[in-house]
Amino acid sequence: MAYDDLRSFLDALDKEGQLLRITEEVMPEPDVAAAANAVSRLGEAAPALYFDNVAGFNNARIAMNVHGSWANHALALGLPTTTGTKEQVAEFINRWAKFPVKPEWRDNPLWAQNSVEGDDINLFDILPLVRLNDGDGGFYIDKAGIVSKDPDDPENSGKQNFGIYRIEVKGPRKLAILPVPVHDIALHLRKAEERGEDLPIAITLGNDPVLSIVAATPMEYDQNEYELAGALRGAPAPIAKAPLTGLPVPWGSEIVIEGVIEGRKREVEGPFGEFTGHYSGGRNLPVIRIDKISYRTDPIFEHLYLGVPWTEIDYLVAANTCVPLYEQLKKDFPEVQAVNAMYTHGLAIIVSTKNRYGGFAKAVGMRVLTTPHGLGYAAIVIVVDENVDPFNLPQVMWALSTKMNPSDDLIVVPHLSLVELAPQSDNPGTGAKLIIDATTPARPDNRGNYGNQVHDLPEMGEWLTKLQQLAKH
Amino acid sequence: MATKTATNATPTECPRCGHDRLDQIYTSPVAGVWEIYHCQQCLYSWRTTEPARRTQRDAYPDSFKMTVDDIRNAIELPVPPLRQS
Repeated sequence: MAYDDLRSFLDALDKEGQLLRITEEVMPEPDVAAAANAVSRLGEAAPALYFDNVAGFNNARIAMNVHGSWANHALALGLPTTTGTKEQVAEFINRWAKFPVKPEWRDNPLWAQNSVEGDDINLFDILPLVRLNDGDGGFYIDKAGIVSKDPDDPENSGKQNFGIYRIEVKGPRKLAILPVPVHDIALHLRKAEERGEDLPIAITLGNDPVLSIVAATPMEYDQNEYELAGALRGAPAPIAKAPLTGLPVPWGSEIVIEGVIEGRKREVEGPFGEFTGHYSGGRNLPVIRIDKISYRTDPIFEHLYLGVPWTEIDYLVAANTCVPLYEQLKKDFPEVQAVNAMYTHGLAIIVSTKNRYGGFAKAVGMRVLTTPHGLGYAAIVIVVDENVDPFNLPQVMWALSTKMNPSDDLIVVPHLSLVELAPQSDNPGTGAKLIIDATTPARPDNRGNYGNQVHDLPEMGEWLTKLQQLAKH
Repeated sequence: MATKTATNATPTECPRCGHDRLDQIYTSPVAGVWEIYHCQQCLYSWRTTEPARRTQRDAYPDSFKMTVDDIRNAIELPVPPLRQS
């Protein structure tokens, strides 16, 4: 089931009827982004899009919405396209148990077919770049896995990073990058700048679909993304050494861009329509100098549209945001049953838990805020009882409607760290956070008039099966 | 799908900030279809075939426009102090 490159996954999507080929000539703008914007409106089984007839280009190949539905996400994990959301999260948790699986160094990487260096580089020759949203300040790369090392501990493969960050193209060999402070690459850059150095990086485009999923997973600082990819794929992730920087990059990438984030340099960037459904930018951000590009012949540019949720980004940061939070909470509080952090990369998080004693659910909510991902996200945390399914929003609304007393069950914590991109923040970088305790009070907390709760009848399950079978005929 | 919505006349000002120093940074591999320009002041980039709301100063939305003050006062990702070795 493991795909070693993007092309084999596109073939799998095609065979499953999950790849729509747009063969008529389209304009680079607004058509490519507008189509990707539209495809997410087709729902949870929306296909990927493939463009190979883009006006003005001889040989452009653009893949959009590759992860942009639960059906495509299931296929990326080697599951049937009909696998439900909750089942995909459960399978993700099962496979996480096999982490870490060491990557496999493999010779003859696919991207070694062609290369260009130094002043001969013109990124526009290789990538058919297109603008995504009206207010974007330029052409962006927003689905690349970026590799960097900890400058203080470069031999430590756990501390290396493979993550997705937004990149603006500013010239033939000049880029800008947004290193959000709570993300690992920002720690690497900070250390490099404290040392007065540039930070070497490799930007890898068009990858095995599981690599894009792990690159968007909020893992702990010293956890290796390739080792999670191995666990999720059921086979070691094939990697190879990038020729200029020596950084470990995917063996099967379409394109590998090597260079440095230039230390202590800033320049105006953006804005860019972000995963929050709002623009951010117009700020002075670091600059990247490209020194070498290696690429497959006729490379496919894998790109991602993001806008009013849900679009592809929401599927790409759904299951993989839930699972590390679940793992981290479960370690401290085995009573935790499930975590739904699928909304806006976990700016809103719902946790179900058994209630050990009065006040326990509030403690679980506060623990969410101190997880690595919670440091930057988790603006709203809703804690519900163990018998409420956090993936079932009507049930969550029932809990909010009946279990929550506003006088005691809303906890506002002011001035916590919050990603700068969160539009509700007080200042970019900090904001108040809210914990909502929507669990039934447990002793010695005797608030409310709960008495006995209604439960499903014991015979309900048997009847459900019977009715489902009858409904099939 | 969409037809070309802008002329290929050489632009004289940045749609976003109105600056007149522009670099042509790329031309379409198929000759004569489009060019990409880049403003030297606000660093906005655009393709000449994009809709007028992205390429023409008078059609560019006010809420996305940028001034010299916006650029000068842009929030900066902090540069940390150098370590004392």
